[in-house]
Amino acid sequence: MSLTHDFEYFKPKTLNEALDFLAQFGSKAKILAGGTDLILRIKEGFETPDALIDVKGIKELNRIELVDNVLFIGANITFSELIESEIIKDNFHLLWESSKTVASVGTRNRATITGNICSAVPSLDSGPALLVYNAEVLVKNSKGERKISIHDWFIAPKKTAIKSDEMVIGLLIHKHGKKNGTCYMKLGRYTGEDLAQAGVGILVSEENEYRIAFCAVGPIPKRFTKIEALLNGKTLNGELIKEAQLLALSEISPITDIRATKEYRNHMIQVMIERGLKTSIERLNK
Amino acid sequence: MEEYKYIGQPIVRIDGLEKISGAAIYADDIDFGTNLLYAEVVESTEAHALIKSIDTSEAEKVLDVVKIFTGKDFPFKFGLYMKDRYIFAQDRVRFIGEQIAAVVARNPKAAKRAAKLVKIEYEKLPVLVNQMDSFKDPEILIHPELDEYTHVPWFFPKTKTNVAHWRKTRKGDTQKGFAEAYYILEDTYTVPRYAHCAIETHVAIAKYDLSGRLTVWASSQSPHTQKNLFAEALAPLGLTHKDVRVIAPHVGGGFGGKAGVTMEIIAAAISTKLKGFPVKMRWSREQEFYNTYQRLGVIAELKIGVTKEGKITALDHKLYWDAGAYVEYGANVVNAVGLSAIGPYRVPNISIDSICIYTNLPPCGAYRGFGYSEFLFGLESHMDRIAEKLNIDPIEIRKINAIREGDKTAYGADMNPNGLFEAIDKVVKEIEWDKKIVSENEDKVIAKGFALFWKAPAMPPNASSSAFLKFNEDGSINILVSAMDIGQGFLTVMAQIAAEILSVPVSKIRVENPDTDRNPYEWQTVASHITWSCGNAVKNAAINAREQILQIVARTLRLPKEDLYLDDEKVKCKTKQDFGLPLREFVVAGIQAEDGTFKGGPINSSGIFMPEFSSTNGDPETSQGGHPNVHYTVGAGALTLEIDKKTGKMKVLKVVEAIDCGKVINSSLAKGQVVGGLVQGLATVLYEDMRFDKNGKLLNPNFTDYKIPTALDIPEEIVPIFIEVEQPDGPFGARGMGEHTMLPAAPMVANAIYNALGIRLKSMPLTAEKVAMAILNNSK
Amino acid sequence: MAKIKLTLNGELRTIDVEPNDILLDVLRDKLGMKSPKCGCERGDCGACSVLLNGKSVRSCLVFAIEVDGQEVVTLEGLSENGLTTLQKTFLEFNSFQCGFCAPGVIISATELINKNPNPSTEEIKEAISGNLCRCTGYQPIIDAMKHCTSNK
Repeated sequence: MSLTHDFEYFKPKTLNEALDFLAQFGSKAKILAGGTDLILRIKEGFETPDALIDVKGIKELNRIELVDNVLFIGANITFSELIESEIIKDNFHLLWESSKTVASVGTRNRATITGNICSAVPSLDSGPALLVYNAEVLVKNSKGERKISIHDWFIAPKKTAIKSDEMVIGLLIHKHGKKNGTCYMKLGRYTGEDLAQAGVGILVSEENEYRIAFCAVGPIPKRFTKIEALLNGKTLNGELIKEAQLLALSEISPITDIRATKEYRNHMIQVMIERGLKTSIERLNK
Repeated sequence: MEEYKYIGQPIVRIDGLEKISGAAIYADDIDFGTNLLYAEVVESTEAHALIKSIDTSEAEKVLDVVKIFTGKDFPFKFGLYMKDRYIFAQDRVRFIGEQIAAVVARNPKAAKRAAKLVKIEYEKLPVLVNQMDSFKDPEILIHPELDEYTHVPWFFPKTKTNVAHWRKTRKGDTQKGFAEAYYILEDTYTVPRYAHCAIETHVAIAKYDLSGRLTVWASSQSPHTQKNLFAEALAPLGLTHKDVRVIAPHVGGGFGGKAGVTMEIIAAAISTKLKGFPVKMRWSREQEFYNTYQRLGVIAELKIGVTKEGKITALDHKLYWDAGAYVEYGANVVNAVGLSAIGPYRVPNISIDSICIYTNLPPCGAYRGFGYSEFLFGLESHMDRIAEKLNIDPIEIRKINAIREGDKTAYGADMNPNGLFEAIDKVVKEIEWDKKIVSENEDKVIAKGFALFWKAPAMPPNASSSAFLKFNEDGSINILVSAMDIGQGFLTVMAQIAAEILSVPVSKIRVENPDTDRNPYEWQTVASHITWSCGNAVKNAAINAREQILQIVARTLRLPKEDLYLDDEKVKCKTKQDFGLPLREFVVAGIQAEDGTFKGGPINSSGIFMPEFSSTNGDPETSQGGHPNVHYTVGAGALTLEIDKKTGKMKVLKVVEAIDCGKVINSSLAKGQVVGGLVQGLATVLYEDMRFDKNGKLLNPNFTDYKIPTALDIPEEIVPIFIEVEQPDGPFGARGMGEHTMLPAAPMVANAIYNALGIRLKSMPLTAEKVAMAILNNSK
Repeated sequence: MAKIKLTLNGELRTIDVEPNDILLDVLRDKLGMKSPKCGCERGDCGACSVLLNGKSVRSCLVFAIEVDGQEVVTLEGLSENGLTTLQKTFLEFNSFQCGFCAPGVIISATELINKNPNPSTEEIKEAISGNLCRCTGYQPIIDAMKHCTSNK
């Protein structure tokens, strides 16, 4: 059970303290929030940091705030906190629904959505929702801060646009102006906790705007831009669904691994797009 | 029906309080103080290779490393039914994960660091990861010295091959039988390996004290068998049985995986060179997957001939088992199936070949069901297919062929009393077999599936149990046995048996985990035989104690012994209404006579049970003769399965299982076995999916990718039905049931899938993906 | 080495830890709490569950140093003043078999009931779905929890 890799541990009280540590250690330090991903990677030898910077004591990272229709989710916010938040449930329902599918309670009580996007695993459940909501990632280093669009955040599996001396402060999401219905569909091997073998996040607005994103069926999560171009402005019908399903195959590149074959993933994406669209519209019309 | 006070009651388990309060101690919970050493094993990264060199020089330099051991330190063989296994690999490795060396250090981190620094040089050999390749390719021998291995006389290894054992059962004339058949169905069914996944991994701590006495604390189903195997294997070091002691604390799940001996012998062996220091080994979850027993894989070729009316005329069953790199235990699974792979049917002409084949994959061994789940998948699928072809109801074809009391088993012994027909009828009724259910959802289809099952304990003919019983001053009782409570609740059942005979309430009886020095012999807690065997031993001990009690009261108080009986913790007299002597007054202290002297003394008793009718002297070419299996437990099961045609996802809406376990001793615990066993069985068919790459590496040695059910994955309704046809030689008529509850799961699902979709799947597991892709491919 | 202070089962404890010491190991080997178990070391099985500031976490994926100044509760702490109603119901229902998953399940169940005294069957299943059990098939655990909460 023991870890053989040694490291220094710091628990800064302020953001500036944390950023100073980052400036000092650069890529040799890792930010420790929930740790459910990072600690496992250190145990398995995939990460060998010289220093861990525990940011859980930095109060300003613990906020969920909706101000002037802009949501801020601090870097310490866990999936459990997202699920328990009325703000998220009422205004960013796709994110709420996606969060409920992550692992199980014990993991959700620690795992942060920030940690999820920093892991950048192709199957991350928060990917589709954040892409659909056009989120922005707020990052900072000791020299200043910048916003990175979620569409530019994922570079490759386990690689993001963040620089080695930067840390994520939180996520910013503009609330969708119109009435909408959403749905997150996740393919797992059973009902119990599982990593997504395919994931689809959908938003349909009352003005027939369609936003659809996937995870786990490509190296990075992405929006289905071709399907959106096909559907935008139109009322959904059986033929459009079939066309959308065909288009889907050209926008994804699933692999075969021990969890699922690419044939099954291709098939399931089509099923999930159909069911997800229908459910989103049902919810829109409620 | 006799009225019992304790037998049959849903008594709260006597070890329950420990377990829900956090008091229960498992092997890794025991504190050994600051002298405790930690051993980390160095494992093979090759599936089949000669070991050219082992370089421990860098590892030895790590601070706090005490000693490093390799095969040359312990060149001894061991094994339960066959001695083909080594404490550490000797000249070669035979599976990825096999232990080559052990690093012992004063703390776990040092042991781990050092283990990573041990360098092994290999000379690769060809790798055999498929049992058919290994069977057909005698040029590559995984065990070139197979001929030299000692084994039980009823195993038949084939010289100069990879066949460690070949069980042949021949009865009647199958050629004639097939010639007479109106219809013959022949097909192949494939079942892969499975893992036990007990939540507690294997743990062993061994201490060889300064006087040369070895004690091993282990999470174990078999403390006495382990003691025996340690003493045998380590005899060259001067150890005798008297020097070896095994203490088994609570076990966090066994399922067969903690039977026999696996990693424990490493701890036992290395401790002899670490005199005075206890050394601990705890398997990680990964090691638990690839370096303990796995359930054997099998490719089964089944051919059954039937008359037009559906009566079986002949059965030919060839089972090619992937038994792994070492088969000292797994070969008995092959043997057990070779004797029983006709299923619970009357079959006049039989040919069974059950072949145990070495492969360069992890060693296989006992797993709940012991080969029966594996062959029943094919057999019960086959019966449904035959029924459909003949236009006979699948229930009817079972009844036409079901085995009855007095019929001959495959090896020629008489079938025991059993309630198979009652089980079938009750299941059919409860599942409402004839009622079709149509789903409201057009994407979903609902159908039912049915299967029979049976199993006998697979044991040596002299497997025995024993019990000691003693009273305390307050009339409470200690029962000492060496069977293990691996969750099934046998401790409580033993207390109930003694309670019924001695009229002492269960709450005043203590039955706990054993110490082989203090507790008398028990072969192993396997084979679903403990309620029967150990129950008989406890019953005998209780009867013996009762005899002593009545005897001493009779002679001291001059009352006719035949009028005395026990009730409510007292000795009472039929002919003297007001007489009631509380047990606590004399069961330790003795009874004071008129003259002031004391008679009697502490009431201590013992009891044993060993079947004296079991034998393995069947003909090696036909298995006829002998009585290798003591009795069979039979049953039937059915389920209602809902399938989403688009996703392949399946949901068990209802599952019914009727099992004839003779007298149910504890109805709550029996129900627990049905529910738990069915969920485990359904998991093997629906979710668990072990994957090896072509080099023999296990790709999913963790719960992230080897999925065992969570609370969200269970059937909506489980209905257990108990048939209680008395087992004549069982305690209060009881028979075993712990393994059986898993057995019908796979064929029930396979049959339901066929009934729903017209698709016959013959290769497990039957995952959602497999079903969805089969539906897609069918529609093309 | 760092000295950390934590409130363990209501008691203030001080202990020396290395940064890479895992909370599960420290609880078991240094702080005398044997109830959280090691089942998988990856956060998959829940046998190591403890309450950290009232929420269940996988103690195999927490460094001990992270809980400095915080509150940890294990099964031993729940049983201190006698068995809880939940524990008594588990006992009565014979909910557990080998018992190895029991500490983790009881922690998860306690967390659920503390925040939701009247959970639905689905909510009960979700709450314990992160605790793997191989023996029971979960039904007797769910039945006990349902019985315990529906009487309120």
